[in-house]
Amino acid sequence: MRRIKIFGLAALGICLAALAAPNMSAATTPTVIAAPSGADEMKVDDQPGYVPSAESEQLDPQYQRQMVFYRTTEPPGTIIVQTSEKYLYLVQGGNRALRYGIGVGRDGFQWKGLVKIARKQEWPDWRPPPEMIERQPYLPRFMAGGPGNPLGARAMYLGATVYRIHGTNQPDTIGSKVSSGCFRLINPDVIDLYDRVPVGTRVIVHQAPSVEG
Amino acid sequence: MSIRKHTSATLLCASLLSIMAGAACNGAAAQTLKAVKDRGELICGVSHGLPGFAAPDSSGAWSGIDVDYCRAVAAAVFHDPEKVRFMPLGVEERFDVLKSGKIDVLAHNSTWTMSRETDFGLTFVGVNYYDGQGFLVHRSPEIASALELDGAKVCVQKGTTTIDNLEDYFKSNNLKYEAIGESSQDDARKDYEAGKCNVLTSDVSQLYALRLQMVNPRDHVILPDVISKEPLGLAVRQDDTQWAEIVKWVDFALINAEELGISSKNVDEAMKSTKPAVRRLMGLDGDFGPKMGLSSDWAANAIRAVGNYGEIYERDVGSKSKLGIPRGLNELWNLGGIQYAPPIR
Repeated sequence: MRRIKIFGLAALGICLAALAAPNMSAATTPTVIAAPSGADEMKVDDQPGYVPSAESEQLDPQYQRQMVFYRTTEPPGTIIVQTSEKYLYLVQGGNRALRYGIGVGRDGFQWKGLVKIARKQEWPDWRPPPEMIERQPYLPRFMAGGPGNPLGARAMYLGATVYRIHGTNQPDTIGSKVSSGCFRLINPDVIDLYDRVPVGTRVIVHQAPSVEG
Repeated sequence: MSIRKHTSATLLCASLLSIMAGAACNGAAAQTLKAVKDRGELICGVSHGLPGFAAPDSSGAWSGIDVDYCRAVAAAVFHDPEKVRFMPLGVEERFDVLKSGKIDVLAHNSTWTMSRETDFGLTFVGVNYYDGQGFLVHRSPEIASALELDGAKVCVQKGTTTIDNLEDYFKSNNLKYEAIGESSQDDARKDYEAGKCNVLTSDVSQLYALRLQMVNPRDHVILPDVISKEPLGLAVRQDDTQWAEIVKWVDFALINAEELGISSKNVDEAMKSTKPAVRRLMGLDGDFGPKMGLSSDWAANAIRAVGNYGEIYERDVGSKSKLGIPRGLNELWNLGGIQYAPPIR
């Protein structure tokens, strides 16, 4: 699998926002999970300004957008995120779903629950939170939306949480645990998804079961 | 797909009966576990070479889903996944060989059907791969479902149930089609590549294997629709229920392990779990293993050796293999598929 440049600093993901420990509103009640460490974890800094080539957005076959068999009782239009598989499913009905390869939260930054898309934004701006600035002082304080922005081409804000489904300028992070709880898709995929789902779409986030406890 | 041919098993057995007074036809009655332990190895009947299911590499090392299931049974019995001998068998002979007692388990990408149990005195213990007939088409954004194949020219192998399923599916969905029959899968693929048809149909696992042989595999997609039932599973003799239980629960243990989050990488962690379902599977609570004639850590040994069902799938036929078949039907029941194992309790 292709890897991008690994920087020396332990990086915070791009959607930690201003919260050290994500605090959920009671209305959405997602649960933050302490998952066991995995080999697919990736320590990687954001690369503001880096514009991915079309070639680098050619994913490994299993992470390419595709229609798959998917049996569920959830109605068509629902988004289901299987964090452990690094897949996001858009339920189509008739035992099928459109499946996208994603990057997910690092261990300790994973969560599960039911939320709804509260807001949608094309080419979102990026404001690294103070914790990130402290650790990576060279980061810009503000970066206007556009190619090269770590949030990518589209963002869908999940309920009242700090989490989003968004694009990325780092296609090689798809299939990895890299973020601080957000779900990232390559820009062509996040644009495709964005155009298919309205505000109010239900998003169900699943986690692998843990043997602990 | 099933080949439309009647094997002469019953006849063969009857003639053997008259010669050998029944000995050859009863097989090893109800003593398989003891025989396996005394022998010091499991004998597994497998395919001569079907990538993803059972195939030897150039050094003679076997791999595939069926192979891993044999190793899992060996690990459950002996604590050692290497104590298994693979006996490659042809399609025509495989059920007779199992019945004769020359092998302990048949793991030969065999479709579980009623007649195979009743005609040969066999029992299928579970399904390690849900296969079924599907469709391969040229990659295009327009076609996402087999229901959009109206007017298609379909390449198909003749003399199999595949062509019947094709007819049933298109007729029942009011779709027109033209079948272009060939005597082999490979010829059907060549016809498709030569443009004599725009759809290729076979069992989904076959379509992925055929796609690998195409000039540019990425130009073709296999639709998610599955139109027939080809549950591939492991078979044992009907007359030994203890042995059938063992092979069956090894299968269920691998599936339950995935559902519970137990993998080859965290077996040791799972051995310290306080979760009741994990503890029972690991043999920490209850005496499930001893009641089958095995040690209490039978399942833990199997999982440590070959991984849980998901690990086996991805390694042999899924995203970590050349075939790259999506989980589909073989995803766990609570993750979008139909793989489901009764609980251990």
